[in-house]
Amino acid sequence: MILWILKINKSDNMNINTDIGIKLENPFMLASGILDENGYTMERILNNGASSAVTKSIGIDERKGFDPPVIYHDENYVINAIGLSNPGIGSFKDEIEIALRSGKPVIGSIFGKDAEEFSLLAKKMESYKVSAIELNLSCPHVNGYGLEVGSDPDLVSEIVSEVKSKVSIPVFSKLSPNTSDIIEEAKAADKSDALVLINTVKAMKIDIHARKPVLSNVYGGLSGRSIKPVGVRYVYEIKKELNKKIIGVGGIENIDDAIEYIMAGASAVQIGSVIYKYGINIFNKLNNDLNEFFIKNDINDIKDIIGVAIK
Amino acid sequence: MKYAYIIDNVQESENVNTIAFSSDDDIKPGQFIMAWVPGINEIPLSFSSINKIKKITVKIYGEASEHVAHLKRGDYLYYSGPYGKPFTIVPGKKLLIGAGTGIAPLIPIIDGNTYGIISGKSKKDIIFENHFKDRLKIVTDDGSCGMKGYVTTALKTVDLDKFDMLYVCGPEIMLKSVFDYIKNINVNAQFSLERSMKCGIGLCDSCSINGYQVCTDGPVFSVDQLKNMDEFGRTKLQYSGKRVYF
Ligand SMILES: Cc1cc2nc3c(=O)[nH]c(=O)nc-3n(C[C@H](O)[C@H](O)[C@H](O)COP(=O)(O)OP(=O)(O)OC[C@H]3O[C@@H](n4cnc5c(N)ncnc54)[C@H](O)[C@@H]3O)c2cc1C
Ligand SMILES: Cc1cc2nc3c(=O)[nH]c(=O)nc-3n(C[C@H](O)[C@H](O)[C@H](O)COP(=O)(O)O)c2cc1C
Ligand code: FES
Repeated sequence: MILWILKINKSDNMNINTDIGIKLENPFMLASGILDENGYTMERILNNGASSAVTKSIGIDERKGFDPPVIYHDENYVINAIGLSNPGIGSFKDEIEIALRSGKPVIGSIFGKDAEEFSLLAKKMESYKVSAIELNLSCPHVNGYGLEVGSDPDLVSEIVSEVKSKVSIPVFSKLSPNTSDIIEEAKAADKSDALVLINTVKAMKIDIHARKPVLSNVYGGLSGRSIKPVGVRYVYEIKKELNKKIIGVGGIENIDDAIEYIMAGASAVQIGSVIYKYGINIFNKLNNDLNEFFIKNDINDIKDIIGVAIK
Repeated sequence: MKYAYIIDNVQESENVNTIAFSSDDDIKPGQFIMAWVPGINEIPLSFSSINKIKKITVKIYGEASEHVAHLKRGDYLYYSGPYGKPFTIVPGKKLLIGAGTGIAPLIPIIDGNTYGIISGKSKKDIIFENHFKDRLKIVTDDGSCGMKGYVTTALKTVDLDKFDMLYVCGPEIMLKSVFDYIKNINVNAQFSLERSMKCGIGLCDSCSINGYQVCTDGPVFSVDQLKNMDEFGRTKLQYSGKRVYF
């Protein structure tokens, strides 16, 4: 009985809210590109345990994206090649307005080909009342050859500086693991308020009976539980090297995965692919399980465990 | 990706075929697969028979449906699934309401106590009428088969109180007209919705309606669920994610 009262008291003092340049009531954010192209869907997820939603990456013009198949999955992973489909920034105001009815922060993810496009998109997003901007640096580099914007440090630092000078809300840079040196990329993005790690890892799937690649674009991006060790490693390494605020993303399926990212140095985590397994209820489940983990392990404040594993 | 060997292909009408294959998948009425046509597209299709021998009835709209509709004995169908929440089957008297090929996914519901309404533009759109014996009303826009008029014309001739459940499938505009007709009367109904689908597993947001994913929360929704969805019959999403009006 006494123990029970102690536990209740404890959970009253417990602090699961976190700060990534904006305040979040819990560390669980909806990742960009998963159920966040549509205002109603974001609103529903925000009303069901997510502390914030990062929108689908939005560009200047409407894009249909690649023809299906654009997503392949099995029990261990998802590979997607959606092709940056999006309604275009001009049509996105309504969606954000609907999502904001939840009273929770919305973060506008954007992609462009140069600093000018990124700045324009960021200003629009700010005028739509998002709380922060997330720069998707995994989008294709204009030079082509499968390179991503993130693999060009000069371009990254130009984009980040430009966007920072044009908006007054926090700016996050979402880094691509598909570069030869992610530390270089992180340094180039140093002016951002936080780094988001990681985007999907280049991959593909061949169907051995059809003898053909499954995705219409042939190549896609790997996500889901298979990439978690890669994500954890990047969060750890970059936190250790640069000591910036980090948002961890990649393969989180349960509370242990989330705690692992936090101990590696993440102040918050984003949840994406796992929704195909558990639906949007995953957010409420993670919140409950985090509270339980704190009680069981005598943790009062999330700050006390951010980066504790780093040596 | 799963694959199945096609054992039969029957032409139902000018541009509708039924393909048959054997598979061990446990499929419930209303569930669907994502059929992959390599090099062309991947499209959602539901089942017109769910026994050991599975059947899919396909209407040709574009390249992918044309390819599936023309699969011959010995060809392979590549697919993933089954996906989606099925119809809830109730005991008692049932009314199946299908527009054109929309009747196909309702066929597995038929038992000894089922009645039907099939609507279409004209005679050539009416299929599967022989599954209902005389318990069927047909209605066509041009009157070339059955009554002349719309699905609501046929509904007016039916005593809906007598039914324990209505099962409705067809284009959203037709679903909406049935919904509007019955929403203020005390009758139970389930509707199977059709929206553009890119993934089938609840990740891409392309099939969403008022925050629900038709591929995972649906495709079957009850009349009470639809009462809370103001996008129903009003707006839908294009492949880009842009919201447009019907
Ligand atoms: C859950 C679900 C289950 C389905 N089950 C079946 C089924 O059992 N049998 C079946 O035949 N179809 C079914 N459909 C519809 C089917 O998926 C589409 O007809 C198919 O995607 C068309 O693809 P396509 O590449 O051949 O045509 P596209 O190239 O995509 O389209 C060609 C043209 O036809 C129009 N068009 C395409 N599909 C439709 C449609 N359904 N209604 C009106 N206009 C359309 C397009 O707008 C375009 O103008 C289902 C859809 C859903 C969401
Ligand atoms: C279907 C799908 C679409 C995605 N679209 C975007 C996108 O538009 N912008 C972006 O920055 N990341 C996008 N991502 C990457 C995710 O935000 C996330 O970084 C990645 O999936 C790893 O997290 P997860 O394993 O929890 O999904 C997408 C991922 C998936 C599966
Ligand atoms: S088809 Fe992708 S969420 Fe439904």
